[in-house]
Amino acid sequence: MRQVKFILALWKANIQAAMEFRAAFFTQVIFMMINNGVYFIFWVLYFDKFNAVRGWDINTMMLLFGIAASAWGIGAFFFGNFISLAEVIVGGRLDYYLSLPRPVLLHVLASKSIGSGMGDLIYGIGSFMLSGYFTPDGTLRFLLGVFAGVCIFIGFLVIVQSLSFWLGNTVALSQFALSALLTFSLYPSVLFDATTKFILLTIIPAALIGTIPAEFVREFSWQSAIQMVSGSLVFLFLSIFIFKLGLKRYESGSAIQVEV
Amino acid sequence: MKKYLSILSMQIINNIAYPGDFLGRSISIATFIFIFAGLWGTTFMIANTDVINGLTFPNMVWYFMMAETLELGRPRINRTISEQVKNGEVAYILNKPYNFLLYHFSAGLGDGAVRMTLNLIVGSIVAWILAGAPPPLLGWLMAFVTLIGAWILHFCFMALIGLAAFVVEETNSFELIYQKLVFILGGFLFPIDMFPTWLQNISYALPFPYMMYAPARLFVKPDVDLFWRMLGGQVFWVAVFVFLLAFVYQRSEKYLTVNGG
Amino acid sequence: MSSIEVNNLQKTFQTKRKAAGMRGSLRALFKPEYTSIEAVRGLSFHMEAGELLGFIGPNGAGKSTTIKILTGILHPSSGDAKVLGFVPWKERQKLAYHIGTVFGQRPQLWYHLPAIDTFMLFGKIYELDDRETKKRIAFLSEAFEIQDLLETPVRKLSLGQRMRCEVAASLLHRPKLLLLDEPSIGLDVVAKQHIRDAIKRMAQEENVGVLLTSHDAGDLEALCRRVIIVNHGQIVYEDKVSNLKRKFLTRKMVEVRYAEEVSPNFSIDGVEILKVGSYGVKLRFDTTKTPVDQVMSHLSQAGELVDITVSDPPLEEVIAKIYQDAQPGMRT
Repeated sequence: MRQVKFILALWKANIQAAMEFRAAFFTQVIFMMINNGVYFIFWVLYFDKFNAVRGWDINTMMLLFGIAASAWGIGAFFFGNFISLAEVIVGGRLDYYLSLPRPVLLHVLASKSIGSGMGDLIYGIGSFMLSGYFTPDGTLRFLLGVFAGVCIFIGFLVIVQSLSFWLGNTVALSQFALSALLTFSLYPSVLFDATTKFILLTIIPAALIGTIPAEFVREFSWQSAIQMVSGSLVFLFLSIFIFKLGLKRYESGSAIQVEV
Repeated sequence: MKKYLSILSMQIINNIAYPGDFLGRSISIATFIFIFAGLWGTTFMIANTDVINGLTFPNMVWYFMMAETLELGRPRINRTISEQVKNGEVAYILNKPYNFLLYHFSAGLGDGAVRMTLNLIVGSIVAWILAGAPPPLLGWLMAFVTLIGAWILHFCFMALIGLAAFVVEETNSFELIYQKLVFILGGFLFPIDMFPTWLQNISYALPFPYMMYAPARLFVKPDVDLFWRMLGGQVFWVAVFVFLLAFVYQRSEKYLTVNGG
Repeated sequence: MSSIEVNNLQKTFQTKRKAAGMRGSLRALFKPEYTSIEAVRGLSFHMEAGELLGFIGPNGAGKSTTIKILTGILHPSSGDAKVLGFVPWKERQKLAYHIGTVFGQRPQLWYHLPAIDTFMLFGKIYELDDRETKKRIAFLSEAFEIQDLLETPVRKLSLGQRMRCEVAASLLHRPKLLLLDEPSIGLDVVAKQHIRDAIKRMAQEENVGVLLTSHDAGDLEALCRRVIIVNHGQIVYEDKVSNLKRKFLTRKMVEVRYAEEVSPNFSIDGVEILKVGSYGVKLRFDTTKTPVDQVMSHLSQAGELVDITVSDPPLEEVIAKIYQDAQPGMRT
């Protein structure tokens, strides 16, 4: 409860900061919605031509985009530092969070808001509402799917970027991991062979963000539910654990001046 | 001319200096082609056919390899230009003994040359493994010729978006939309051959096919007729956009000398 | 009661060595070489509650590393420390409620927001209720003379104004101990004075202990009673500031400018003339050997003074002198 109040105060400050540049903020939100919409035309064209691929049709695809965009949007808007954590660590900017009496990881993540994320979130919700699965129980499943997506997005990226504690600058690696995760999450994993599917459930958990939640909203199954819940919990706890472990090795940018 | 060459080579050296980035990019290219091959491999299998709208599966994979080469190698100068416009740096650059646009053209070309070479090498290896032998020599030739026009068109778009910072605060959003228009109407994700006719008509009336579809399609299925049509379209659109860019640039320059940056 | 207790503290950083250029990068990628840097080497000291302690030394002496260990930001390689009874790296969150920190080179105020918004956010972070926060802000803004700055986005403030807001923010939750790392870095003389006065006043009124690092001896003279000088991660000197002043800050550098031209063979007994220009003179003297008023009267007799600057020797020189005095055998 204490932490909830604290997070709310951080979000308030984020919104105040966004409102300092409100014209840019609203432009970003609207353009991000258009951007996603135009990108989705690809799937409209595709399913117009091929109808269905292994049980996937345009409606399932709208679910997938709805979940992935909402999950990404929530991450970006409310926990915006989850894509710049490596820079924060390497740049010694954890000092600030470490000198305040709050959980460091939570504090870092929620201290930045990416305005365009709101555009993704609105688009995602819209895509879900138009998908044809907008029923009471469909909505519940959608919410669970989005929750899993947020956990996986954030957990996965925190793990990759926490490697900075050991390896130094991993900004390039993190960017690659992010783009791989995002790209794969926007395609149904039924397209791929068994090995790739396994990779998409583990090392690059993109299937847990897109395919599995979308199939779960389409039709309830215990298998998907368990995969989603256990996947999110594993990634969430692993990310906290690895981050805390790394924190002991944090160097606060003190030792980086040395170049021989 | 010499100074632009040195800007170009500076940019190339700059790009090679970070081996980590290099590795990251190579894996990215491989990943993209892998996903694309997965999608179309399955599609051809389910449709139970070898040819869709005149294109085979190997055609599709090599098509995407060339399109991705251009997408990764196109100039990305809009952010730099916007920044320079916003923080007033542009006013100082105008006084320097080189042309502002040609400077960015050379820098972008140096950057793009490295990325495109890397993509051609890594992409060809991956495409070869996934889809078999590459297209014939004529395809490579036609692709290279039309790449030039496509690249110049991309440059004009990027420069115009960058210069838009004179008028609006947020220009990064324009880049997103431009990129998505190229993705769809330019035939990046979906070759124009597969569009319904009405959309093909819309697409050909716009510059986007000449910025993406032209080199990729000619690469996998070289065709003399199509080549001249595409080249003609490129010449037309390059003329239009170079004129537009020159006009906008001159207006901005005047605006600067009047308002002082 | 002591507020800081440090025993044989050590901190070693492992740094990857990388030679310049492409070849160096490749080599570092496949066969990294490591160098150890001992930033803190066996530091021991203590600080009383409410004490004003200066922690000075040249750049890279280990001051910031020590402060970061004492706030729980860094884990030490070995050794013990207790701050207000807490072990910082184990009880970081609990400790954070009782200390205030300012890192001169790392602003804590939100850049795009007015300072008041960050103050309110800090109120939430430290779990103060809103009424209390507002009362405290009113008090601090009066003490630091920032009433008129609170509503302005921080990015539009000058460095000196911003620094006053930073220090005020660090006092919001009534800490018992204030750790200031280079609070005056980059400030001009007036802004420095301003901030020193405010810190001094708060320390007296609320009995806040202050541990201050700086590489400016002026901060020390103005604020602290006791001083620890560190160099290469070790304590080289520890005494009252008044003693330090008496023993080592005795050499003053004076620059004067005259309204009319000065004669080129300008000289005063017991004073080292460093430079004679056509309108100005730069000189150095030792206040224990040559009385200040004697030098001053000589200077004013020489012509109509238009400007005068008196400065302390740079810290490096003081440290060199401390080494000389401590180990006379090493003198060359």
